[in-house]
Amino acid sequence: MEKNTFDAIVVGTGVSGGWAAKELTEKGLKTLVLDRGPMVKHLDYPTAMKAPWELPYADEPTQADIARWPKHTRPSFYGITQSTKHWFVDDIDNPYEETKPFDWFRGYHVGGRSLMWGRQSYRLSEMDLEANGKEGVGVDWPIRYKDLAPWYDYVEHFIGVSGNNDHLAQLPDGDFLPPMELNCVEKDFQGKLDAKFNRKLIIGRTANLSAPLKHDQSPQRGTCQYRNLCMRGCPFGGYFSSNSSTLPSAERTGNMTMVTNAIVYELIYDNDKGKATGVRVLDAETGHQTEYFARVIFMCASTFGTTHILMNSTSSRFPNGFGNDSGELGHNIMDHIFGNGARAMVEGHEDRYYSGRRPNGFYIPRYRNIGSDKQKYLRGFGYQGGAGRQDWTRLVDDKALGAELKKSAQEPGPWYVSMMGFGEMLPSHKNYVTLDRNHKDKYGLPVLNFDAAHQENERMITKAIIDDAMEMMTAAGYRDVNSFSIPANVGAGIHEMGTARMGRDPKTSVLNAWNQMHACKNVYITDGSAMASSGCQNPSLTYMALTARAASHAVEELKRGNI
Amino acid sequence: MNRREWLKSMSALAVGALAAPSLLAVLEAHAAAQTPGKTPQFFKPAQYGLIGGVADIVIPRTDTPGAVDAGVPLFIDQMFEAVYTKEEQTRYLTAMAAFDKAGGKPFMQLDPAQRTALVNRLHNEAVTAPKGSKLAPEADFVLMSKKLTMLGFFLSQPGCTQVLQYDPVPGAWKGDIPLNKAGNGKAWAVETSLKI
Repeated sequence: MEKNTFDAIVVGTGVSGGWAAKELTEKGLKTLVLDRGPMVKHLDYPTAMKAPWELPYADEPTQADIARWPKHTRPSFYGITQSTKHWFVDDIDNPYEETKPFDWFRGYHVGGRSLMWGRQSYRLSEMDLEANGKEGVGVDWPIRYKDLAPWYDYVEHFIGVSGNNDHLAQLPDGDFLPPMELNCVEKDFQGKLDAKFNRKLIIGRTANLSAPLKHDQSPQRGTCQYRNLCMRGCPFGGYFSSNSSTLPSAERTGNMTMVTNAIVYELIYDNDKGKATGVRVLDAETGHQTEYFARVIFMCASTFGTTHILMNSTSSRFPNGFGNDSGELGHNIMDHIFGNGARAMVEGHEDRYYSGRRPNGFYIPRYRNIGSDKQKYLRGFGYQGGAGRQDWTRLVDDKALGAELKKSAQEPGPWYVSMMGFGEMLPSHKNYVTLDRNHKDKYGLPVLNFDAAHQENERMITKAIIDDAMEMMTAAGYRDVNSFSIPANVGAGIHEMGTARMGRDPKTSVLNAWNQMHACKNVYITDGSAMASSGCQNPSLTYMALTARAASHAVEELKRGNI
Repeated sequence: MNRREWLKSMSALAVGALAAPSLLAVLEAHAAAQTPGKTPQFFKPAQYGLIGGVADIVIPRTDTPGAVDAGVPLFIDQMFEAVYTKEEQTRYLTAMAAFDKAGGKPFMQLDPAQRTALVNRLHNEAVTAPKGSKLAPEADFVLMSKKLTMLGFFLSQPGCTQVLQYDPVPGAWKGDIPLNKAGNGKAWAVETSLKI
């Protein structure tokens, strides 16, 4: 037992787990870090340097891939390509049930989805954190912007976020590396949106190093090389992942013990102490079971990973799942409304081009239900998009053939602009996940069953995303303006949140203002499950800030003898 | 590649990473393990020859390599062998049979000028047809073959580096520059696209 006892246990190594590991080890805690998948060390990125001609099948999924990932390769499809499919678990060995269809894209390996994430990094604002309380939706966040702001600063400084300070109340500024440049058509669109709608188009804020980091704690990280192959893993360390950033820091302290292929299936609760004492782990390869013990436990296994473990951890104290006195565990699933937008062709600018492949686009921050704007729906949405010149695919239906086709393809095509909305989804008790004890996976663990759908507010936002995109592109004078709507289920945004929410009242929430479980103070949850509302901003930066803040709190509480 | 092979490749890479300069060599070995066969698996020899004949007309060798030089017929074979559905396979083979009859005698028995004329005629028929209208199978075959030839060619090394321009490690982003200052001024092989 002694050798299995640590000061702290961190479950998961994605954006949250990596941050928990770094913060706890740097503060001197002997920390066990568990991941359910295999090790991926920084530089272990098998496809990172491959040219287009070195990837088979035009980088498309094969029929064998589709048979292995039948859910994953539905239209909202993400990542099942020859260059990145190895980062995603399949649907055969990792099944789940869908009372209502749900897109669940997972990576079970060290680094988790921090390896494949979209890197867009935006702060929540005071408006986002106040909305639930003001509108009587879900529960009020127990924190406000001033609680998060210093931690956003701290996280941005460490990971490196390229962006511009745009002085927008709904999208607070940060500690940024230099912004990336907009291209000529994006600048044109920016000017027209400002003039005709008084709306802002800004360069995206992305966790790519547009300049060296402002600190010397991550010597393994170099600047972005503008290859735009981030999802494969970056041997230059050009973007933030746990593998390239937080885990190397944790390792350097000498305080981290990492165990891989370690599936945590249960939290151990001690009735007498009123505390969690450790976790039960199943080895993914051998099935061997082990118990590990610690004074404090950080759950960072991803929203549904953490929820699964808590639901599977029942005891006389917690018959309905660990920490679930409120009955809210597994409920209030949120994602971002995803897959809707518009595109258009843009005349002119033929003499302008770009070089390099920018791993970033433009962002149109939320403008609905702000100031004097009042809509029938609550909250709002932002757009992510980009402009570029069409490639050779435009010539498939063209008259050119033979030598003429070759020649035409050498000319950059006409300009287009495209953008997609990310809309806020409201928390609802009706959107939930349960354990299906009749369906077990190959480890004998019950699988999750999803029952979540967009409701009236989400449907109104979806329509507004399309209508506004069409209106803006049309007003800009662009031609062939067309909307698009990818059939996407809840989950397709891969911004899952909400199933163990923070709140002020233990009767209606699972976590307190410090991401500490109301009912068991030495358990902290700092992944997406903690979110009380979703905003419309990409959420990973907020998970990181919450994690660093919670880790600081946990260490103080340990010192005070409170946990 | 299955999970076991993946794990194996990951541990091989870990070794490569320790001996830093050989990382690329290890990646090459990994690529070799993942690369499909070097001979046609899906098409019969006569069909394979016909595809080469059409691909050569779609993208011929000029002062730069053409589709056949770039290995496009093998690429098309691999796509049908592994990527396309049964329905897509049947559609292509059926259309190919119709195409092979469209010139009066089998396509490969026509002389080069006749082949080019036939492909051009059917191509013109396909691209001038009203949008959404159903194409005759022989025209459908030419359009499908054109698309596949372009896909294979513009992802190939000669297509990317000799016809278009490709920079594996740009090192910088210049967002708004004159066309003639963007490398050699040709279209980039890989256009920038936002991945979200």
